[in-house]
Amino acid sequence: MKSFGWTYARRISQSFCLALFLWLFLQTEYRGVDQLPYPVSLLFRIDPLAALADMLAPGSFGWALLWPALLVLLLTALFGRFFCGWVCPLGATLDGCGKLIGRGGKSFSPGWRRVKYLLLIALSAATFFGVQLLGLFDPLAIFLRSLTLALYPAYNFALNKLFDFSYQYDVPVASDAYPFFRDNLMAFHQPVFELGLFTLLIFLLILLAEKLEQRFWCKNLCPLGALLGLCSRYTLLQRTPKTLCADCQKCSSDCRSSAVTTHGYRRSECLRCMDCTGFCPEERVIFTLGATPVSGAGVDLERRGVLGAMACGAMIAPTVRIGPVTAEQNPYLIRPPGAVAEEEFLQRCVRCAECMKVCIGKALQPALTQAGPVGLWTPLVAPRIGYCEYNCTLCGQVCPTGAIAPLKLAEKQKNVIGLAVFDKDRCLPFAKGIECLVCEEHCPTGKKAIVFEEKDVLVDGETRRLKFPKVVDKLCIGCGICETKCPVEGASAIRIINEGESRRARSAEVAGPYG
Amino acid sequence: MNALDRRSFIRNSIHSAVATAALGSLPLLDLLAVPAYAAETSPLAVRKGKDIPKLVQETIAALGGMEQFVKPGEVVVVKPNIGWDRTVELAANTHPEVVKTVVQLCLDAGAKQVRSLHRTCNDERRCYTESGIRKALEAMDSERVSLEYMDRRAYQEMQIKGGKAFEKWEFYKPVLEADRLINLPIAKHHSISQLTLGMKNLMGVIGGNRGRMHSNIAESLADICTVLPCDLTLVDATRILVANGPQGGREEDGRATETLIASPDIVAADAYAATLFDLKPEQIPTIVAGAKRGLGIMDLKRMQMV
Repeated sequence: MKSFGWTYARRISQSFCLALFLWLFLQTEYRGVDQLPYPVSLLFRIDPLAALADMLAPGSFGWALLWPALLVLLLTALFGRFFCGWVCPLGATLDGCGKLIGRGGKSFSPGWRRVKYLLLIALSAATFFGVQLLGLFDPLAIFLRSLTLALYPAYNFALNKLFDFSYQYDVPVASDAYPFFRDNLMAFHQPVFELGLFTLLIFLLILLAEKLEQRFWCKNLCPLGALLGLCSRYTLLQRTPKTLCADCQKCSSDCRSSAVTTHGYRRSECLRCMDCTGFCPEERVIFTLGATPVSGAGVDLERRGVLGAMACGAMIAPTVRIGPVTAEQNPYLIRPPGAVAEEEFLQRCVRCAECMKVCIGKALQPALTQAGPVGLWTPLVAPRIGYCEYNCTLCGQVCPTGAIAPLKLAEKQKNVIGLAVFDKDRCLPFAKGIECLVCEEHCPTGKKAIVFEEKDVLVDGETRRLKFPKVVDKLCIGCGICETKCPVEGASAIRIINEGESRRARSAEVAGPYG
Repeated sequence: MNALDRRSFIRNSIHSAVATAALGSLPLLDLLAVPAYAAETSPLAVRKGKDIPKLVQETIAALGGMEQFVKPGEVVVVKPNIGWDRTVELAANTHPEVVKTVVQLCLDAGAKQVRSLHRTCNDERRCYTESGIRKALEAMDSERVSLEYMDRRAYQEMQIKGGKAFEKWEFYKPVLEADRLINLPIAKHHSISQLTLGMKNLMGVIGGNRGRMHSNIAESLADICTVLPCDLTLVDATRILVANGPQGGREEDGRATETLIASPDIVAADAYAATLFDLKPEQIPTIVAGAKRGLGIMDLKRMQMV
């Protein structure tokens, strides 16, 4: 293979993939059609870690959604970790930002290379026993989560301030540009997320790790890299020479993934960036297809390390699962419509934040501890911030792992995510003898789930006839618009709790509270 | 019948507010304020029919044509009800054909620009789309016509002179600044105000925490109507919502009444519309408050049917 073109080809591929994923990210928004026209969550449909989570979760594997991830594994078996070098948007970001941050040249003990494999093994073992934490470390989830929860909101905030300024002082071009930006390049409503700063911090730490060494994250920590590395142990794309050349050794210092060491070339560590075909002064490096026997194969994981990681992972599961049931501890643990039963939900959700990005009503927020010890970054409906739009089914459309099932509109409108409950100490008619009924006005079910009763009450010594709102439990689906729109200042006087949600297993009562 | 000139009305209001503030609050100065709109009689056009464009044309023609209300070169705000994410047949939003025909008549009368907008209750993108109004106005393919999202920066606090529920509130500046305001409500059931008609429809162009108005809806609406005088109110009762309002959601809650009611007097139009629900105007506190405030007449006998 001819040498010089490969580096450019790789850079073009990285730029293209990054641009594609950013473009899909921008399309992850309602733009006038109920069905999203593009496969916006493509990034996770090609994500083998998402597929692994799906595979180990109860229920059948989501072939229809996740077959591209298996294709990536197959291609990796043939060509090695090309995904890391050519496709991964986090890798591209690290390559792109490395120079800005200033790259460190520290050489870490080879033991560090093992960490990612041990992490993958531990996470897989935990997942196998029912506690899925792959999403916390999945580079694609980290990338999209950081975009959704931190970078994009900040970008929107800055642009909005800029446009506000131009509006105030009537800057001609900027004012005209605003509608175009709003409809194409910005979020329609300023995104608001509670974990923005926390998420950003983790993203920045990964970026700053470039200061230690190039692609520190990818080489040492990334569990997706580890999975792809395991798959590429017997890859057909072979590199020659297989060892450092005695007269040069440039590979040992210049290889971005430190795949070429004094122990030889480690194909499972090679990101297939192809730089060595360019920087080799003698143009000795070539990649060819062929099944030659493995030499100096990969990182030595050591039996002790593997077993230790497995044991750690396996222990996480029971330790977490003996805790109290979170949904009973926290009545405000409300999941989006179509979410599967909580235990399965936690096993399926890869914390990619696609649902939070697409949510039209700003209802979805990432959990910190509200969903229990392993619910970090999973989506919660936070109705005081935003409500679940009655005619919208977008979150189910974007979820790549079936944690939120795609529901048809009619199904979604019957899917109960919670129940509205009045706080009669604060609700105006009950607490102050003042009429209100804003909740009733906004209640979206065709036959309203909030109705009113007229009663005579004594207020300050005079009898008043007032309308008192009341929730019809059987009709309420917990969309939360009442909580969002409640005009009482601060906390709403009507709140959604997770009582009666459709996804909870219960005996089929004919009568009774949930009959 | 002279339509109120909106620009001078607002200018006068602001001037008198400034004067009042500058000279102290002597009760005498109230006399300087522009007298509220109160007439002995108000023309009212009521027409029935199935062909909506034709119906709109006939109804407006009965009042002397759109030229009575819109002069060449003027900026007109046409304010339909687009508050809910509901389709046409659910009778929660003004019929797109009504909106389109009124906008067309404004263009024909020589309007420089016709702007439509609503501060919606559901997501505005969904409301504009599902109501069918986006499609109807885009089909007109005219640069003089726009369906606009409310700009969060364009609200302006206004003093409400003689406000009974509120002394001040935020109003949408482009509506205040327009030459003409044409109000296009749909007639609907509403639990707190009983009915939502023309006066209630103007809640769609104000800012603030609107839910707070519900505790005294009648006087609150009369308050905002004193700041937002409509040149023409045309109540869309081609189909009305009789239960589960104001957003409905069930076709069985709609009634095809195939009626349009138009008047330069917002109270008169609302008062007549109430009769479609077998209610008397006196039974609707908002209408009563409007009439008492001098915003128009509610006595059906005093109306001049045209």
